[in-house]
Amino acid sequence: MPEELVAVYADPDEALRAVLSLRERGVSNAQVSSPAAFPVVHEVEHTGHSRALGWVALVGGLTGLACAMALQVGTSKSMGLVVGGKPIVAWTAFGVVMFELTMLFAGASNFLALAIFSAVSRRKVARSIRDLVSSERIVVTVPLTGMEPKLRDAARVVLGGALAEVAP
Amino acid sequence: MSEASLAQIEKDTVATMAGTTWRYWLALGSAVALVGLGAWAWSVALREGLGITGLNEPVMWGALITTFVFFIGVSHSGTLVSAILFFTRSPLRAAIGRSAEAMTVFTILTAGLYPIVHIGRSWLFFFVLPYPNQRQLWMNFRSPLTWDVFAITSYVTVSMLFLYMGMLPDLALLARQVQGWRRPLYRVLSLGFSGTDGEWRIFEKAYPIFAGVVIPLAVSVHSVVSWDFAMTLMPGWHSAVFAPYFVAGAIFSGIAVAVLLLAGLRRGYHLERYITPKHFDMLAKLLLAMSLVMTFVYATEFFMAFYRGSNAEMEVFRWRATGTYAPVFWGVVLSNSVAPIALFWSRVRNNLPALITISVLVTVGMWFERFLFIVTTIARSFVSQNWGNYIPTWKESFICLGGLGWFFMLFLVFIKLFPCMAISESMQSQHAVDAAVTPEASHA
Repeated sequence: MPEELVAVYADPDEALRAVLSLRERGVSNAQVSSPAAFPVVHEVEHTGHSRALGWVALVGGLTGLACAMALQVGTSKSMGLVVGGKPIVAWTAFGVVMFELTMLFAGASNFLALAIFSAVSRRKVARSIRDLVSSERIVVTVPLTGMEPKLRDAARVVLGGALAEVAP
Repeated sequence: MSEASLAQIEKDTVATMAGTTWRYWLALGSAVALVGLGAWAWSVALREGLGITGLNEPVMWGALITTFVFFIGVSHSGTLVSAILFFTRSPLRAAIGRSAEAMTVFTILTAGLYPIVHIGRSWLFFFVLPYPNQRQLWMNFRSPLTWDVFAITSYVTVSMLFLYMGMLPDLALLARQVQGWRRPLYRVLSLGFSGTDGEWRIFEKAYPIFAGVVIPLAVSVHSVVSWDFAMTLMPGWHSAVFAPYFVAGAIFSGIAVAVLLLAGLRRGYHLERYITPKHFDMLAKLLLAMSLVMTFVYATEFFMAFYRGSNAEMEVFRWRATGTYAPVFWGVVLSNSVAPIALFWSRVRNNLPALITISVLVTVGMWFERFLFIVTTIARSFVSQNWGNYIPTWKESFICLGGLGWFFMLFLVFIKLFPCMAISESMQSQHAVDAAVTPEASHA
């Protein structure tokens, strides 16, 4: 099991002060688990997939658009609909379903991306640590594996009073 | 939101799910009774046909389609208001957003039942779905009724996902907090969300994208429903103003229903600390604004009809205001245009019983307003030999009341199973308020 320091704070501001203090002392790999998106969660370094979310929604939306076009054009042409000389493929009329499916697929793909990216992201934090989170417990974790002794000591000093025992 | 500790917010919200009073059971019992009544009436319609309703030539769209349009309208504002409050970063959203979103989901699920009832042979409702049938016929994508199917199914799916996405952090918290059968349920439904910084970054990026999808979709759904009418050449329906008129009416009725639900939740679960007079003041102002918009639209419709000089259209509007349904018309004007004027006074806005009374009037008024424009147009269209009247039968009314019961039943079950306020968002909001009050304490 990787070695790490785990500190628990009841107050989001205390957790924020601890993370900023860690950063000042050169410890930049802290992780935070919090019941809400308090400012502290924005103060830790993050290398996730969040930037890709917009692109996923865009691709999802375009897929929905393509599906709507294919469905309407394909079915209208396949059944020999009598339209009194009007165009079989009527883009004005088809626009509504195209819009609806674009939005549906964009939303659904955005939700799927959230679920998948979140699952990938949370694997960095052990389950035993994540389970500590509650409305009164914000957890700050500092992985110690491979860290310089000087930085380890600094992390211990900053997190000192709030360190928690976590069962492996 | 008045001051509350972060733990207190969670405790108070969990208490709404745990405690069950006799008032709750009374409300649920009444809703189930209405559902039973509606189900019985529908079963009679299934056995004996739509002859048990008041529908007959020339009026083939009546109370059932009215209820469909009404519920679609109510559904409109929940998600829309929630998404708009999100984008404006309003602290008011934390307490009311969840209930508003749930209202959207359950009203649209209710609305979807009525076209199925209305088609008579309800077991054949799958004809509206795109599938290759025995004769290799597909649906007609030029028809606004087909657009409806796609618009409503898209909207209900996206609204459910929007509600669910917002609940993920709360479900994760509850999965660690509660015991018994709820624990595994919340654990599964939270999709493993656990509040790591990475998850929050992703959540905070994904949620605005979703809210951005929801707003145009919400507007499109009611526009599409309005086109069921406006795409015809019928007098009183064939109007370019119909889509914005429907959207405005939808927001108007939705806000009225939201006021009633929130007032009930506040009283029933003692959520006075969270659902404050500020919330009701904001909703009352919105109600007033939408009432003014609706009044303008009513006036525009009449003005256009008489200015344009189309005999058929003039006759529809003249008859609407002076004919068989004149008492309904003036009742609608009174409830939707006159009564909300009282909301100009802050004393009325801050008086909850008065606001509830106006909201009830608006809710009932909006149902009748939908009824009026649907029925009067069909009853008084181009050919005078084809004019007629329509009065819903008791059984038809029971089916409509059944929908009301169905909606309340779903909502009441929801607030027992899931938090009716956004716990995580309320904590965040409370922390922001605390930080604003004592900036030195929060500033590292």
